[in-house]
Amino acid sequence: MAPPAQSQRSQSPSQPSGKSEVSDLKLQLRQLAGSRAPGVDDSKRELFKKVISYMTIGIDVSSLFGEMVMCSATSDIVLKKMCYLYVGNYAKVNPDLALLTINFLQRDCHDQDPMIRGLALRSLCSLRVANLVEYLVGPLGSGLKDSNSYVRMVAVIGVLKLYHISASTCVDADFPSTLKHLLLNDSDTQVVANCLSALQEIWSAEASTSEEASREREALINKPVIYYLLNRIKEFSEWAQCLVLELVTKYVPSESSEIFDIMNLLEDRLQHANGAVVLATVKVFLQLTLSMTDVHQQVYERIKAPLLTLVSSGSPEQSYAVLSHLHLLVMRAPYVFSSDYKHFYCQYNEPSYVKRLKLEMLTAVANESNTYEIVTELCEYAANVDIPIARESIRAVGKIALQQYDVNAIVDRLLQFLEMEKDYVTAEALVLVKDLLRKYPQWSHDCIAVVGNISSKNVQEPKAKAALIWMLGEYSQDMQDAPYILESLVENWDEEHSAEVRLHLLTAVMKCFFKRPPETQSALGAALAAGVADFHQDVHDRALFYYRILRYNVSVAERVVNPPKQAVSVFADTQSSEIKDRIFDEFNSLSVLYQKPSYMFTDKEHRGSLEFADELGNLSIGEAADNVVSSQRVEENDKDLLLTTTEKEETRGSSNNGSAYNVPYDSSTSVFASQTQIESAISNPTTAGHSQQASFGIDDLLGLGMPAVPNVPSPPQLKLNTKAALDPSTFQQKWRQLPIALSQELSLSPQAVAALTAPQALLRHMQSHSIHCIASGGQSPNFKFFFFAQKYEESSNYLVECIINTSSGKAQVKIKADDQSTSQAFSTLFESALSKFGTP
Amino acid sequence: MLQCIFLLSDSGEVMLEKQLTGHRVDRSICDWFWDHVISQGDSFKSQPVIASPTHYLFQVVREGITFLACTQVEMPPLMGIEFLCRVSDVLSDYLGGLNEDVIKDNFVIVYELLDEMIDNGFPLTTEPNILREMIAPPNIVSKVLSVVTGNSSNVSDTLPGATGSCIPWRAADPKYANNEVYVDLVEEMDAVINRDGVLVKCEVYGEVRVNSHLSGLPDLTLSFANPSILDDVRFHPCVRFRPWESHQILSFVPPDGEFKLMSYRVKKLKSTPIYVKPQLSSDAGKCRVNVLVGIRNDHGKTIDSITLQFQLPPCILSADLTSNTGTVNILGNKTCSWSIGRIPKDKTPSLSGTLVLESELERLHVFPTFRVGFKIMGVALSGLQIDKLDLKTAPSRLYKGFRALTRAGEFEVRS
Repeated sequence: MAPPAQSQRSQSPSQPSGKSEVSDLKLQLRQLAGSRAPGVDDSKRELFKKVISYMTIGIDVSSLFGEMVMCSATSDIVLKKMCYLYVGNYAKVNPDLALLTINFLQRDCHDQDPMIRGLALRSLCSLRVANLVEYLVGPLGSGLKDSNSYVRMVAVIGVLKLYHISASTCVDADFPSTLKHLLLNDSDTQVVANCLSALQEIWSAEASTSEEASREREALINKPVIYYLLNRIKEFSEWAQCLVLELVTKYVPSESSEIFDIMNLLEDRLQHANGAVVLATVKVFLQLTLSMTDVHQQVYERIKAPLLTLVSSGSPEQSYAVLSHLHLLVMRAPYVFSSDYKHFYCQYNEPSYVKRLKLEMLTAVANESNTYEIVTELCEYAANVDIPIARESIRAVGKIALQQYDVNAIVDRLLQFLEMEKDYVTAEALVLVKDLLRKYPQWSHDCIAVVGNISSKNVQEPKAKAALIWMLGEYSQDMQDAPYILESLVENWDEEHSAEVRLHLLTAVMKCFFKRPPETQSALGAALAAGVADFHQDVHDRALFYYRILRYNVSVAERVVNPPKQAVSVFADTQSSEIKDRIFDEFNSLSVLYQKPSYMFTDKEHRGSLEFADELGNLSIGEAADNVVSSQRVEENDKDLLLTTTEKEETRGSSNNGSAYNVPYDSSTSVFASQTQIESAISNPTTAGHSQQASFGIDDLLGLGMPAVPNVPSPPQLKLNTKAALDPSTFQQKWRQLPIALSQELSLSPQAVAALTAPQALLRHMQSHSIHCIASGGQSPNFKFFFFAQKYEESSNYLVECIINTSSGKAQVKIKADDQSTSQAFSTLFESALSKFGTP
Repeated sequence: MLQCIFLLSDSGEVMLEKQLTGHRVDRSICDWFWDHVISQGDSFKSQPVIASPTHYLFQVVREGITFLACTQVEMPPLMGIEFLCRVSDVLSDYLGGLNEDVIKDNFVIVYELLDEMIDNGFPLTTEPNILREMIAPPNIVSKVLSVVTGNSSNVSDTLPGATGSCIPWRAADPKYANNEVYVDLVEEMDAVINRDGVLVKCEVYGEVRVNSHLSGLPDLTLSFANPSILDDVRFHPCVRFRPWESHQILSFVPPDGEFKLMSYRVKKLKSTPIYVKPQLSSDAGKCRVNVLVGIRNDHGKTIDSITLQFQLPPCILSADLTSNTGTVNILGNKTCSWSIGRIPKDKTPSLSGTLVLESELERLHVFPTFRVGFKIMGVALSGLQIDKLDLKTAPSRLYKGFRALTRAGEFEVRS
């Protein structure tokens, strides 16, 4: 992973020969420079071609700059183009010589032929030499007024290029307002589109320093501009349409009739041959209808067919991009696609990255009605020649089983996998059977009968072996040979390379010991001895722990190792709904492909438009690679942590499963440092149990010497404006801009749930607490509310999204605030208001 | 927006580099990319969108050429991918195919094309008709001309009229002595038949291709006898949406020359024109193979170029396969291909033989998928029929032609 070295490597063999050839070329060019002989253009063309081809293969021909410029006086357009190409490539490293080119480029800017005018202007702006900008302003100004649209189109982009070289020159020449005029008045749509893209970029860059620019940027998203662009959308080129559609997604219509107008106008864009246009349109539809639940559902139905067509008719690369988006949609509305599951059947020829996504889709759309067909299909892939896909499809079967549909049939299939005698199939199936048993202990009888027949010698993969050993320990009372199999495994302790397997083995032998003591005793002794002597720290510690606890009290040991277990209802590895929402907001972007919101994979400066410093682009890759690797490592560590907690939970089974998963939430309390925040955390009724302990612990650590904190809600320190006002568009805009300050899950009292027969009841209640509702929707059992509140005598706003599920009695609350520091206080206020709902 | 486009040969060599913005992308990214591709191995083609340490990369591979685009900012992914697909389409159209040599020979044209297709990282026009007017393709005529006249400029002198017109896909006013328009229905049948011989999925993807040589600004309407069977349609930008919406009529002003007017899908078809019945039975380290192929229901048209291909599982040591019709070939990478051609009247084509498994194996656990190819001229298997094609102001001499063709797309039979 050290690309810089390689780029040298690719150059070095050609360098020695390249050098002499370059000086050769130099000589020949020099001879031709002054010549006016007939046919000289042809020889020049040959030479230029050579120069460009050297440039292309990576030989540095910048030393020819002077000669190339000298030869550039020609009327031949191909020669001109090659010369422009060369100059554009090397001007930046030869700023002094670049001055030489200005002259002939400026002359070409006044050529009769619009094509040459355009090309020259484009090259002029592509020189990108800071001290030459003064020569750009004149030609650009006349270019913008040119009678030919091709030249204007080039000039508009030229303005943007100028802006990136020298922002002040561009602004001083008042180009942005010229562009704005062109945007609204030019007859050529490509000019309009280029204006739009240039203005967006310029104003976003300026917005950080200039009030006016940010106002101008907002002004692009107003009704007249949007309508003007939408009405002409069919005249735009397909790429420009994408640009316009992207702008429309930011527009917030003031009334619902507008929404329908826009959707009617854009409906045929869904039929466009260009997938990028289709996807951009889909985004507009989804964003516009976010607040209208019913219409939003209809939109899903409407966009389904075009998206499915894109998947099945495009190139694999296109299918991949579309499938990633479909995957996101399916997560939000699985039932919409449940009847189209056949579209996600894998074809033999498809690349694995498409197949993999299709498998995920199949798992996501599975429901009562189609599970049988889907599982049948997935089972066929298990015998696929493509082994990774075969594994993946077995895992998919398992995931569907864990979704609780038709478990009966699936268990049979999984057991058939075990009998297929293919090592990787057995391995995957074992892991799944283990998960299945954790969720549905009632199937143990059937599964154990089959698992018992598997020889542990045929299972090599650590994960599968660990699963098998876990089952041997957990169900040793039902498996005749369990103690003996475990014993033979213990005998081969030294040959077992995976620490994970050894850990499981220790625990399994312990479990087995409590169920069948006489048969296991010797194995246990051997296992503990081997474990204590193990070089792996975890294995060593666990063996020692078991040993000591056994010595201390055998019945305590049994309670620790073999407690009664509850079936696991939800596995922890599902992505949080907040992250999914964030990705959904970034529909039609790379986030969807990576299945992460952009803040998780981009650096801050790379979000939004091209605002980053030049050096970043030239960052040596080796260095950056290290950064990425380290961040990946961090992530892996995180995953490991998660894994080990779940694994440990599984092996120790010490606490009940539900609470173990809540721990990460409470860990946030450890961040609290100041006294007031601790108070508010304690008054926080939902996290009461845990946070209390946690914060008391911290009290001691911090040595604050606080007296026992009374467990009553502290009076709200925050006063809210009772007559707050906020118009919907500001709300939406703020909601988009602000980061989430707080996100939590609250429980509702049964009375509150009973009172929430209609959303209006809650609205009135919250209003009495100065928290106003701006939008609400949904039907029992799911309600969604958007609230806002304003600080008393200040214009600082709090925005809240609250999703209430009445069947589970839970409320998901997300809070955003202008003033982040008071968001915790507001959250307390909000909670207490919500908790009073339903109480008379 | 895209910052740079690279064209790589199948050995990872940079054939072409086109910087699009002021933020130069160093070539070393290609080395990183190539290492990444190699690390993914051959059997796994790497994903079309990759995050490298410094850039996000889009890649599209066509005919061994990798089109690689880099960006550092968030952008619609399909835009990057679609654009690269168009670039490859336009290049292969211009250069009459894609390969390393043809790109190296014509790199100046490739540069010129990219120059017009994208500026400052934002795609401008990818419409082949317009590009053709700005940059003349390197055809034989111009080569001959250049030899004779010594003038090989492949840039046309005039700016394309269409950049200013409101019909971006049509050049202004072509004139033809013979006005002709041809409409082809080209369909591909995708089908999956599972292990139990059940037709799991069968659908047709079809395209309406038009080749038009009409003078002036012709306004065409095309209607189908049974448009209701179409499940989803996509149109060339020239098609007006309202007439389709209300009466399922295609009303359009065509681009000049060949283009894809619309594409459609017909789902849930009930039968396939041919059947393939594979039987594999294995014991004692050997596997008997027997495959029968025949016509299922007669469309009255001959089925041509029937082929059958399958990959022998890796655990097979040797294979001995023979057929009573056509030829059987086993290629180096263990692909077995059986070309049948037409099905003879007097017998049912069958392929039979034995596969010898690796020594430890008793039975076969990995079963091959048979991919079927065929071609039927003169029929669109979806059942779609063209009703009529009208020209608003018909020129004196107008010739209209219709054809139909169906071939197998992804037609697989699992065993």
